[in-house]
Amino acid sequence: MRKPKNVIRKGESKILLLMALPAFAIYAVLYLYPALSNLLWATRRWDGNPESEPEAVGFRNFTYMFTNDDVFIQSLGNNFRFMILVVIFQTGFSLLFATYLTKNTRTTIFLRTLYFFPTILSSVSVGLIWLALYDPNYGFINASLNALGFESLALNWLGDSRYALYALAVTQVWFHTGQMMVIYVAGLQQIPQELYEAAQVDGASKWQQFKHVSWPMALPTTAVVVAYTTIQTFRAFDLVYTMTNGGPLNSTEILVTLIYRNAFFGYQYGYAAAQTVVLVVVVLSLTWLQRRTLRLDYGAK
Amino acid sequence: MKVSKSTKVLKLLVVGAFALSATTVPISGAIANTPNLGAKCTDEGVNTGTTSRSLVCVKTGAGELRWARVKLSSSGQSPVSASRAPSGSIEFHHWRGEDRTVFDSIIAKFEAANPGVKVTQVIKDSTSYQATALTTIRSNPKAAVFTTFRGGQFNDFFKANMVVDISSQRFVKNNVIQSALAPATVAGKVYGIPYQSLFNNPLYNADMFAKRGWKVPKNWTQLLEFCKTAKSAGIIPMAWPAGTRGNAGQILNSFLMNSAPDLATIEQRVVDIESGKADLNSAWFKDMASKYKQMNDAGCFPNNVTGYNDSVAPVDFATGKAAIYPTGSFGISSVTKANPDMKGKIKMFGMITTDDKPLYEGITNNTFILSVNPKSNSRDQQIARAFISFLAQSNIAQEYAIGTSQHTSIVNVDYSANVDLLNVSDIMGKKLLLAPRFLFLNVAQVRDPMEDALIAIGGGADVNKTLTDTSAKIKQNLGK
Repeated sequence: MRKPKNVIRKGESKILLLMALPAFAIYAVLYLYPALSNLLWATRRWDGNPESEPEAVGFRNFTYMFTNDDVFIQSLGNNFRFMILVVIFQTGFSLLFATYLTKNTRTTIFLRTLYFFPTILSSVSVGLIWLALYDPNYGFINASLNALGFESLALNWLGDSRYALYALAVTQVWFHTGQMMVIYVAGLQQIPQELYEAAQVDGASKWQQFKHVSWPMALPTTAVVVAYTTIQTFRAFDLVYTMTNGGPLNSTEILVTLIYRNAFFGYQYGYAAAQTVVLVVVVLSLTWLQRRTLRLDYGAK
Repeated sequence: MKVSKSTKVLKLLVVGAFALSATTVPISGAIANTPNLGAKCTDEGVNTGTTSRSLVCVKTGAGELRWARVKLSSSGQSPVSASRAPSGSIEFHHWRGEDRTVFDSIIAKFEAANPGVKVTQVIKDSTSYQATALTTIRSNPKAAVFTTFRGGQFNDFFKANMVVDISSQRFVKNNVIQSALAPATVAGKVYGIPYQSLFNNPLYNADMFAKRGWKVPKNWTQLLEFCKTAKSAGIIPMAWPAGTRGNAGQILNSFLMNSAPDLATIEQRVVDIESGKADLNSAWFKDMASKYKQMNDAGCFPNNVTGYNDSVAPVDFATGKAAIYPTGSFGISSVTKANPDMKGKIKMFGMITTDDKPLYEGITNNTFILSVNPKSNSRDQQIARAFISFLAQSNIAQEYAIGTSQHTSIVNVDYSANVDLLNVSDIMGKKLLLAPRFLFLNVAQVRDPMEDALIAIGGGADVNKTLTDTSAKIKQNLGK
C-alpha cells in the first residue's frame, strides 16, 4: 500500500517545530508574556513609575470595580447596550444587503463596492465625518430634519447623554455593515443553487426560500459575523475617542476608553490591568455564548 | 580707602532700587512716564511690542491714559549667548505638530552653529504625548530634550526624577523672564524653561464690537448684559466649545481666578478637592458652577452647546457669527486660518466673573516646558542644554514667536512683526494669574469629571444634582 504524501516523516516534526520557533518566540514575547503578566499586574497597585514599588493588593482591584466604581459599571452597561444595538442592526442590515446583492451583476458589484467603501476609511476619519454630520446647529442630519419639518427630531446628538450612545451605534453600524455584508455574500454564494430550485418547485415564496434555505445555511456565517461584530464593539476605541471622548458625563464611556484613561491619565496601571482582565473575560464569555446559541459547537445540526 | 557712611547708604539705595526693578514682573513695574513717544495713547493696555523698551498704554492715578515704558529684561543682567554643543545626535520630543516647520528652521540654524550636531524632532499628537511621553522618554536616552505640559505632566516627570536641574545655567538667569520660570521651579530649583507664553482669555472681534458700539464687559453684570444684547442682535455671544473638553475648560481659569479673596485660598481649595477633603458641593464651587448656569440662562452660549465642538467654534467666530471665542491666544491661528480677513481684528479681554474688585484681571500660561533628560549621557545632556540656550536667544525666540503667533518667555523679543500678537498684548498690561485650572494635577480622577460637570451645567443641567453625582464619582475615583 502506498504511503499518503502528506504524512510527516520521522524527524520532520522536529524540523517543523524548529521552523515554527521564531514565530512562536515573537508571539510569546509580544503577546503571551504581556497578556500573562497583565494577570499579575491586575493584583497590584502601581502608578507606572519604575522607581515606585508596586503594592500587592490581591483581588481588591476587582472587588472595588464591582462594588465601588460607578463609572466602571456604567461603562460596562454602555458597552453591552452598544453591543446589542450594533450586533442587531449591523447583522440585520448586512444580511439584508447581502441577500439582494448575492448575484454577480454590474449593478450588484458596484453596490457592494459602494457599501464596502466606509470600511476602508480610517476610524478617525469616520469619527470626524460623523462629528460634522451630527453637529446640532450646522450638521446635515439636523438640517435635513428641519427642512423636512421634523424640528422636534433635530436633537443634540452627541452632546446629550440620552442620545450620544445611540448616535455612536449608528456610526459604528454604518462603518462596518459593508464589511459584514461581504462576508455574508461569500457565505450565501456557497449555498447550492439546487436548494433554491427545489424550493421553487415546491412553490416556496421568496420569503420562504430565505427562511428555510438561506437563513439556516447562512448560520455559520452569521456566527462569524456576530462574533466579529461583538469584538468590534468592545474595541471601538477610536470612534468613541474621536467623537465623544466618553462624554457627556461618561454616557459613551466604554471599557477600552475607561481602561486607557485609568492607565495613561490616572496612572493606575494595576487597576487598569484588572479592568483589562474583565474585558477579556467578558469578550470570551460572549463569544462562547454566541457559538453555543448559534449551535456551532458539538451540538450543531 | 575709607568709604563714608553716606556713600554706603547711597550704594545700598542704588543696589536696592536696582534689585527692585530687576525682579519686577514685566509690565507691572519698572515703568516710567514717557511724554514723547509718538502716536497718542488711547486704548488702555495696548503694547507697542518693541524689544526691551516696550510701551504700554496705562491709566494713571488721575485717570488719564499715558504711554509707559516697560522693561522686558528680568535680571538686570545682559542675556548670554548660546552655549556650544559637542558633536553628536539627540532627539527633541514634543507634541506641537504645528511648530514643526519653525523648529526645523531653528534646528537648521543650531546645527549650522554647532557642526557635527544633529537634532531630530519626534512629534506625537498631544493626547498620545500626554499619555505615553513619560514611559517613552524614560526608556529612550536619546530623547535628550523634551517638552512637558505645565502642571500634571511636569509634576509626573518631576516625581519620576525625569528632569535635570538647570538652575546653574547662565541663560536661565539672564535670558528668561524670571516670573515665567515658576511652573518649572520646585523648591527653588529650575527644572526646565517654560518656553511659550500664552494667555487663556477670551478673544473678541474688535471690529464687530466697534461697529455695533458694544463695550467689552468688565464685570459679571456687564458680561451677562452683553450676552443678552448680542443674542438679541442675532449674534452668538460666546462661541464656547463645550463639546471639546480641553478648550471648554479654558473659561474655568477665569472663573477660578476671582473665586476667592486671595491666591492661597484658591490653591488650598484645589488641594482640598484633590485630596477628597472637600467636594464639588462646597459653597464656593457651587457658586462658581451656578454662574455657568447663569451664562446659559442669559443666552451667552450657542444652542445645544454641549454638542458644539472646537471645529465649529473658531469658524463661527471667524465668520462673524459669534462675537467672542473664549479660549486663548493659541486660538488666533485657527481663526485667521478660517478667515484671513480677521487678521488684525482680534483682541483679548480678561473675563471678570465678579462685580467686586477683581483679584486678577486675566490669565497667562505656559504651553510647554523644555527640559533635559537625566537618562541621557553627559554629552547628549550637554547638546540638550546648548539647544535650549539657543532657543533662549531673543532672535531665535522671535522667529519662533512670529512663526507660531505665540508669545515666549524669553527677554527682548520683538513681537511687532505680527499684528495679532501685538493686539493681544493688551492683556500683558493687566494683573495676570498663572492658569489655575492646571493646579488640578489629578487630571483623570478629578479634573476631567469636574470639568464635565461644569460643561453639563453650562449646557443647562441641574446644578445640585450634577455636582452631587460628580462628587460621588470623584470620591470613588480617589478611592481606587
